[in-house]
Amino acid sequence: MESATVAVSHGDHHHGPPEANQSSRIDRQTLGILLFIVSEVMLFGAFFASYFFLRVVVDPPSWPPHPYELPVAVAGMNTAILVSSSFTVHYALESIRRGNRAGLKLGLVATWLLGATFLFIQINEYVHLGFSARDLSFGSIFYSLTGLHGAHVFVGLMLLSFATIRAFRGHFGPEEKDHLGVEVPGIYWHFVDIMWLVVFVTVYVL
Amino acid sequence: MKLNEAAVFKWVVIVGIAAAAVIALTLLTRPLVGSLFGLALVIAGCVYGYRWIEQKWRELGVKKSRS
Repeated sequence: MESATVAVSHGDHHHGPPEANQSSRIDRQTLGILLFIVSEVMLFGAFFASYFFLRVVVDPPSWPPHPYELPVAVAGMNTAILVSSSFTVHYALESIRRGNRAGLKLGLVATWLLGATFLFIQINEYVHLGFSARDLSFGSIFYSLTGLHGAHVFVGLMLLSFATIRAFRGHFGPEEKDHLGVEVPGIYWHFVDIMWLVVFVTVYVL
Repeated sequence: MKLNEAAVFKWVVIVGIAAAAVIALTLLTRPLVGSLFGLALVIAGCVYGYRWIEQKWRELGVKKSRS
């Protein structure tokens, strides 16, 4: 009888450590990924600065230097694949917001496959390019920029793998706080996609 | 409106359309024209993006003061 009284009286009070102070206007996870992306933009900015320095300030007679050629059509196809993957990850998130678990799984698997295809085609492109990172400053900056982006795609694939495994194990729900595990990798994936568009236009088209 | 994946997805679409415009102009004219157009778009995008973040920040502040 006494223990029951104690339990009831304890139910009115807060147990454990005090609630964490919410000093930020954004939730911690979203703020974390946004700050991370800002730092990543600066990292890519440094690589783009090197690229434009080599191309504009050093001003070689031709770019890419003779006899090197870039496979623009293959890279364009790869761009379409990566842009499609942003739509599928968006579909996955919209699905879970509406409580559609099948849509979430389908969207995540499709995104993962498209991302893996992009990476596979890029590695295949490296194999058949005919020049390496040792060949002139052009080779160095080309492999640095596209390789840096490829490393980001790889990290994004890892994050998507965790999200996909969790989705198949029944995690995530329609509530905002219940699908942050997809939302944060989704934001990162969109960033990787946007960066590729900039890399593709700069390196392959202009 | 909350700062979430859907808001970032809109930026994928915006950057995609801008990239397509730069590619089209480069193919139709010369790389220099495409580059200048791309630079103009980047500057416009930075101004718009700055205003967008400012607006989001204000909205989040209003939400916090209400709660």
